[in-house]
Amino acid sequence: MLSIKNLHASVEGNEILKGIDLEVKAGEVHAIMGPNGSGKSTLAQVLAGNDTFEVTAGEVIFSGDDLLEKKTEDRARDGVFLAFQYPVEIPGVSNMQFMRTAVNALRHHRGEPEMNAAEFMKLAREVSKQVDLDPAFLKRGVNEGFSGGEKKRNEIMQALMLQPSLAILDETDSGLDIDALKVVSDGVNALRSEDRAILMVTHYQRLLDHIVPDFVHVLADGKIVKSGGRELALELEERGYSWLGIAEDEATEASSAN
Amino acid sequence: MKPAPTLSTAFLQPAGQALPAPLLELRKQRGAALVDMPLPTRKTENWKYSSKRLKLTEEMAISLPTTGKAGSALAVPGYKVVFTNGVMIPEASEYPDLDDISIQRFGELSEAQARDLAERLDSTLDMKTVQFAGLNTARFEDGLVIRLNPNAVLDQPLFIINEVTADASGSAFPRIYVDAGANSQITLVEEYISSGQEPVMVNTVTEFTLAEGANVTNIRLCMDGENVQHIGATGVRQQRNSRFESHCMGFGGPLRRHDLQVRLEEQGAECKLNGVVVTQGTQHYDNHTTIEHIAANCDSEETYRNIATDKSHAVFNGRIHIHQDAQKSNANMNNKNLLLTTGAEIDTKPELEIYADDVKCAHGATIGQLDEESLFYLVSRGIPRREANVLLTMAFINELVVQIPVEAVRETVHTRLNQFFDQAFQEV
Ligand SMILES: Nc1ncnc2c1ncn2[C@@H]1O[C@H](COP(=O)(O)OP(=O)(O)O)[C@@H](O)[C@H]1O
Ligand SMILES: [Mg+2]
Repeated sequence: MLSIKNLHASVEGNEILKGIDLEVKAGEVHAIMGPNGSGKSTLAQVLAGNDTFEVTAGEVIFSGDDLLEKKTEDRARDGVFLAFQYPVEIPGVSNMQFMRTAVNALRHHRGEPEMNAAEFMKLAREVSKQVDLDPAFLKRGVNEGFSGGEKKRNEIMQALMLQPSLAILDETDSGLDIDALKVVSDGVNALRSEDRAILMVTHYQRLLDHIVPDFVHVLADGKIVKSGGRELALELEERGYSWLGIAEDEATEASSAN
Repeated sequence: MKPAPTLSTAFLQPAGQALPAPLLELRKQRGAALVDMPLPTRKTENWKYSSKRLKLTEEMAISLPTTGKAGSALAVPGYKVVFTNGVMIPEASEYPDLDDISIQRFGELSEAQARDLAERLDSTLDMKTVQFAGLNTARFEDGLVIRLNPNAVLDQPLFIINEVTADASGSAFPRIYVDAGANSQITLVEEYISSGQEPVMVNTVTEFTLAEGANVTNIRLCMDGENVQHIGATGVRQQRNSRFESHCMGFGGPLRRHDLQVRLEEQGAECKLNGVVVTQGTQHYDNHTTIEHIAANCDSEETYRNIATDKSHAVFNGRIHIHQDAQKSNANMNNKNLLLTTGAEIDTKPELEIYADDVKCAHGATIGQLDEESLFYLVSRGIPRREANVLLTMAFINELVVQIPVEAVRETVHTRLNQFFDQAFQEV
């Protein structure tokens, strides 16, 4: 489904991704771990089409197409979804208006009829319950005044509404308490299916207790330095990153930046 | 050195004599006072950005002919008075005959009523700063005077449709005077529209006096065509515990100028001034507002938003003047501006003059662009870029649009905004 080859990306002339190779098949869940500042969010943003980052080399094939050629909105319509590490607050645009516009843009793309307000509300209410968000939040501005946990749940809600074929989750687990973590991981597990792939950026092993990945990759300094099964996550939990030759201070230094 | 240009005397020849003597006399006096009136130049502080947009040709000096009929039949959800080229069209107007609210055109006034009105006209405005209001007084051919007795409540909005038919060059001078008695209430919608393509000037004056406890809402929709230079002034005087609310919705043109002057003359008076302006192409819109806090314990709340795209230019100048006796004044002024292109220009200037020591005063002005991160977030959900731009632009002004208390007006505004968005984001 997703094939990344030798992907290099820079921002403001600084190379952040230094040759990423990754193969993700439908039905698989991949976890990407690594210290702060290693380029995890950059990878996620590049896949979603954020042109703050310049791709300098490499290719990304998604469902047979050159993904990097496509505009962000077309990637989304083709099934790419990014749950942002830092979801944006947009006062003045209600969550409802935002999600309905997104859902209908997708339906339009698929040649399906638009959802009217009543149909949409029914669906939105159900899904908001699924992620334990009070439906009243639909009337508020997009992420406006949301707590960190509410923002993350809102990202999962959008994924559930849009049913993407590739869901990229950027630290959707960070800043969550135990209950919220359960809600979010239930949401992610609900997304798991044969024809969908999930790329999960995380910092912590604890999410992987709830969502068992098929593969774990360690990203350090813009490269995947190690890949393995879920046992790799457990090993990282136990031994940290240093045994992989990743300087401890790289991790700590960069963590203040992000 | 070239002498400063003055207003051509051709502009001082009023048309239409169907007015009571005191109003004809007032007109004559004002006209005489405007002989050699210097036209604003770049050096005229309050016309700094707009003087170059003022293009008064000799052909525009004549009054647009009184057509006697309304150009377009407009259905409105309320009462309606139609003016074409500054002259009322009774056949197109529909308003009630009430005991406690009188709605009259200037020509209908008795000698005594006209004498009273002549004394009141221009009294709400600082005529030195709004010379074009003086021109209106020198030129009006008709006008509408609305008087509400104490406690009178007009049960539906009154729409005043001011249309100009620009089939030839010329000018029109619509005039409105509202005298709201104690505890009376009215919602007045002024709609300025035009037909025809010749260059014309519309020079308007609307005045309100609010007695104790009166509650007046004024919606002003400026929607004239691309051939219309619109120069308007609104003056408001407020007595004790009265409340004035204004919603100025402006769509750009070759020249749009609106001066809004509010005087809070007695304790407990309160005003809320909302304004939205959108400009595109090479349009120009200039709002100048002044709030005079004269008495103590008055509140003013002002929120204006400008959106400019292409090579257009929007100007906001908001002055708050807190007089020495106006202790415990509460004044809040906020102006936010959105530039959609680098070629557009917005100039904003909040001016605070405070002579009392115990006041709460806040003002803020910002100029920005659409937030790239927000745009990316929206399009990353599959929302078309054009729609994402519209959502964010609408978010910038929606707070003000939803406050317009008449649904039909909100719909008109939405329709016009959609036309604006279609143009503004056609290449997105
Ligand atoms: N928009 C940006 N501008 C400049 N530098 C950036 C930007 N985004 C990320 N970086 C830098 O790129 C590096 C990787 O960041 P990021 O991908 O966010 O790491 P991670 O998600 O793994 O913590 C960091 O050094 C960070 O400071
Ligand atoms: Mg990150």
